[in-house]
Amino acid sequence: MTATLTNPLRVGLRQERVISPQCLVIFGASGDLTHRKLIPALFDLFRQRRLPSEFAVLGCARRPWSDDEFRQKMEAALASKIADDPESWKTFSAGLFYEPVDLQKSDDLVRLGKRLEQIDRQRATRSNRTFYLSVSPAFYGSGCRALAGAGLLADPNRSRVVIEKPFGRDYASAQELNRVVKSCGQENQIFRIDHYLGKETVQNILVMRFANTIFEPIWNRNYIDNVQITAAETVGVEERAGYYETSGALRDMVQNHLTQMLALTAMETPGRYDPEAIRNEKAKVLQAARLADEAEPWNCCVRGQYGPGGNSSDPLAGYRQEPNVDPNSTTETYVAMKLFIDNWRWQGVPFYVRTGKRMPKRMSEVVLTFKEAPVHLFDSSGGGAPGANQLILRIQPNEGADFRFEVKAPGSGMRSRPVDMDFSYDESFGEPSDEGYVRLLADAMLGDPTLFTRSDEVEAAWRLYTPLVELIEQQPWQLPVYPYEASTWGPAASDSLLARDGLLWRRP
Amino acid sequence: MAPQLTLQAPLELPPQDVSDYLGRLWNGGEQDSTSSGAATFSLLVWQPSWIEQHLVRLGRLDGPITGLEREELLQAARQAVPTCGLPLSTSPLAPELAWQLGQLPGDQASEDLRGQHVDPAISLHQPRRLITLAPSLDGHQHLETLVAAYCPLPEDGPASSVCGDVVVMRGGMEALQRGLGMVNPLIPAELPCWVWWNGTLDEAPDLFEGITQAPRRLIIDTAIGTPARALDVLSQRAAAGQAISDLNWYRLSSWRENLAMVFDHPGRRDALAHVVQLDIDVQGHQPVQGLLMAAWIANRLGWSLESSNHCDGDGISASFRRPDGVAVQVRQMPVPVGDPSTHPGSIVGLRLVCRPEHRAPLCVILCGETGGCMRLEAGGMARMELVEQVVTSTIESAQREVSRTLRGGHDSTNPLLAACVPLASRLLPR
Repeated sequence: MTATLTNPLRVGLRQERVISPQCLVIFGASGDLTHRKLIPALFDLFRQRRLPSEFAVLGCARRPWSDDEFRQKMEAALASKIADDPESWKTFSAGLFYEPVDLQKSDDLVRLGKRLEQIDRQRATRSNRTFYLSVSPAFYGSGCRALAGAGLLADPNRSRVVIEKPFGRDYASAQELNRVVKSCGQENQIFRIDHYLGKETVQNILVMRFANTIFEPIWNRNYIDNVQITAAETVGVEERAGYYETSGALRDMVQNHLTQMLALTAMETPGRYDPEAIRNEKAKVLQAARLADEAEPWNCCVRGQYGPGGNSSDPLAGYRQEPNVDPNSTTETYVAMKLFIDNWRWQGVPFYVRTGKRMPKRMSEVVLTFKEAPVHLFDSSGGGAPGANQLILRIQPNEGADFRFEVKAPGSGMRSRPVDMDFSYDESFGEPSDEGYVRLLADAMLGDPTLFTRSDEVEAAWRLYTPLVELIEQQPWQLPVYPYEASTWGPAASDSLLARDGLLWRRP
Repeated sequence: MAPQLTLQAPLELPPQDVSDYLGRLWNGGEQDSTSSGAATFSLLVWQPSWIEQHLVRLGRLDGPITGLEREELLQAARQAVPTCGLPLSTSPLAPELAWQLGQLPGDQASEDLRGQHVDPAISLHQPRRLITLAPSLDGHQHLETLVAAYCPLPEDGPASSVCGDVVVMRGGMEALQRGLGMVNPLIPAELPCWVWWNGTLDEAPDLFEGITQAPRRLIIDTAIGTPARALDVLSQRAAAGQAISDLNWYRLSSWRENLAMVFDHPGRRDALAHVVQLDIDVQGHQPVQGLLMAAWIANRLGWSLESSNHCDGDGISASFRRPDGVAVQVRQMPVPVGDPSTHPGSIVGLRLVCRPEHRAPLCVILCGETGGCMRLEAGGMARMELVEQVVTSTIESAQREVSRTLRGGHDSTNPLLAACVPLASRLLPR
C-alpha cells in the first residue's frame, strides 16, 4: 500500500458554519494551554475560513505584556504552522491583543471592560464575547464572579464562559462551583470543556451507535458480556507535578475523560440530535452508574503508582523520583475499577475502566466484548473454544474501529480463528482530523453546547466516584497504591480485578 | 414545514415613508433585542417568479403567488412543458418555459404574497430585514411598498423574541428601477447584507448591477440563464473579491464528495495523478454545472487547459495537460432525460479513467439516482478495475439551499469555487 498522501479532491470539501463576530477573551493567556492548544486551534479555524473578519482574541494574564509581545510569543510557539502559511498568520495575528489583567482586582476589570469596548470598535466584534478561563481551577468561581460583577456576563445572548477541567475536586465542591457559576449567568452561557469530547472518534461513538441499525439491537445486556474502557499514556507526570500531586489519575482522567466515554457508550438513544436531548441521556446513564461495590470499594478498585523502569540506556524515573513530587507520595498514577449501570439495558454487565501513566503504549479505546456463542461447534485453531466477538473503538492513536470475529481457518478441518475487520480514519478519509480544541472552540463560540458537560452531568460523574474519593482521603490504607514498573500495564492487582470475573484486560 | 406569514397584515406605505416608518418601529423602544430588531443580517431578494405568475394568470395553478418553490408549482410547470411544445427534458423552472407561457393568453387574477410568505428555512436565521423586489407581469404597473414587522415562530421550540421586518417592493420593471434609490437606505449598514438573485442573470442587468455590489454577499444560480453570462458574473465577482455563492455549485456537493470518497482509499489515491479521460453527462443543454465539475477536478489535479470546442452538437470537448505532460481528454455531453430535475443542466453521470503505470487501469463511474449511466458504462470498461457509485440526489427547494448558504455565514467566496470558475469560463466554447 502506498504512503498516505492527502487526497487532493478531499481538500476544502468541508464547508462549515462561520462563527459570529466576536472577541474571545483568554484568561491565563501566558500559560501553556494558550500557545499549545488554543491559539493553534484558532489559527486552524482561521485557515478553514471559519472565523469572520470581525473577530479578535484578547489574551489576559498578570504578566505585563504588550499586544506585540503577545503576538511574538504566539508566533514563536506556532512557528511550524506559520511556515506553511505566513500570509494567513499576518492577517490572523492582526486580531490578537493582550491586556494585563488580575481577575481579583476591580480596577483591572474596569480596564478590561474598556479594552473590550475599544476592540468592539476596532474589530466590529459587536459586543459578542466568549471568556475562556484557562486559569487555576481555584479561580473558576471567583473568575466568574468577577466577570459577572463587572457586568460582562449580563447579556446571555452575547457572552459565554468556557471553563476548563477539572470542574471541582469532588461532588460537594462541584455542586458549590455549579452554584456559584449559575449565580453569575444562565446554564446556556456556561461551557464546561472536556477536550476528549472534541475528538472525532469519541463523537463517532454516537454515529456508530445511532446511524447504523446493526449495532443498536445488540448493544445491551443480552449480547454484551463486558465493556473495557482504557486511556493509557506513555508519558510520566512531566512538568505537572504540582497539579498532579493534588489530583491523581482518578480526578485527572477518570472523572472526566473516561466517564464521558462511558456515558457515550452506555447512554440511551436520544430523541433527536439536540444538545439537551444528548445531555439528558448522558446525565441519566451516569445517574444510573455505580461502583461495583460501593460499600467496600477496595473490592472493585485498584490504585497504582509507577516506579522506575526502562533500561540502562534509557532509564525512566519512578513517580516519586520526579521533580516536585513528594518522595513519599501516595498519589495514584494508575487506577482501574469495575462499574455497573443499573438500568434495563446494562443490568449485570461489568464496565471496567482503567487509566495510567507510563504505560507501554499511548492509546485510548472502548472495547465491547460480546457473549460467546452458546454452543461451540468448532475448535479454535489456537485450541479450546472460539473467542468472543469484540468491537474495539479506537479513540487514539490510529483512530478507527475494529470488529473481531471468527472465520474458518484454511485447511481440511473445521477450525476457527479470529480475524479483524478494520476501519481507520486515516485510511478512509483523505485528510487528517482536526484537533479536539478546534471543534470545541468553534462550538463554544457558536453557542452549541452539545459537546460540553452540563451541571447535572458533572455532578453525576463526581457522585459516581464519591465512595472512592472519600476512601482515598479518609482511609487511604484501605486502597493502597501498588507500585508498577514504568512501561508496563499497571500493577498485578489490576489483572486480579478482572481475573476474579474470569476475564483479562485487552493487551492492545 | 409550512411557510410562515408575517404576524401583522403588511402596511402599504408611500415609498418615501418606508425608511422613516422602519426607523420609528425599531428605535422607539428600549435596548432589548425585541425592540431593537435582530442583530443578524439583511437579505435582499430579487423574486420575479415568472413561471408562477404566468401559471396563475393562465389558471393552471391556484394562487396566491408566494414566490416559494412549492410542489404544486413544480407539478403545474411540468405539465406545461409539453403543452408549450418544449422538449420533455426541459426543466420545470427553465426560463424558456416562462417565455413560452408568456405567449399564451390568460388574465386570471390572484393575490400576490411574494415577500410576505417567509419560508421557515429562511426565517430560522432571523434576518433583521427581508427586502423583496417583486416585478409584476405588467411592466407598467406602479410601485407598491408594503412593510411588516416579523417575529419567527418556530414550529418546534419556544418562540424567539428576536424580530425583524419585511419590506416588499412590487411593481413593473420600470417602477422598480425608479424605486431602486430607496433600497440602499433600507439596508442596515452595520449588518452583513446578502442579495439573492432568484432569477436568470440575463434579465434586468441595470437593476442587478444596482443592488449586487460588494460588500454585499451575492447568491446566484448559474443553472438558469445564458451560460456565458452566468460564468462571467461568477468569475468577475469572485476575482474582484466579492463574496459570491452559486446554488448550482452547491448542488455539486454530493458529486464532489462521492468522487473524493473513491480516492480516499490510500490504495487508489495515486491513480489521481494518472487520469487520462473524464466524461460528464448533463441533463439537457445547460452546461454550467458540468463545466464547474470538470474545472474543479482539473484545478485540484493541476491540469492546464489546452483547448475547448463544441462537439457532436451541444457537447463540449476539451484537452488538458497533466503536470507530468500527459494529455487528458474531457468530454461533456447533453443527454435527454424523461423526468428532468428541477435544475437545468444537472449532472447525470461522470466517468473518470486513470491509467497508472504497472497497474490495471481504473475506471470510476458515478451515476445519478434517476438518470442511469448506461452510456458511460459502455465502451470497453470491462477490462479495467471498475468502481461504480450512485450519487444520491437531494433535491431541495431554492429556499432551503439559500438557507444553507446563510447558515454558513461565509464572508468570502468558497476558495474551491473561486479557483475553478475562471477555468470553467475558459472551458465554455464561445
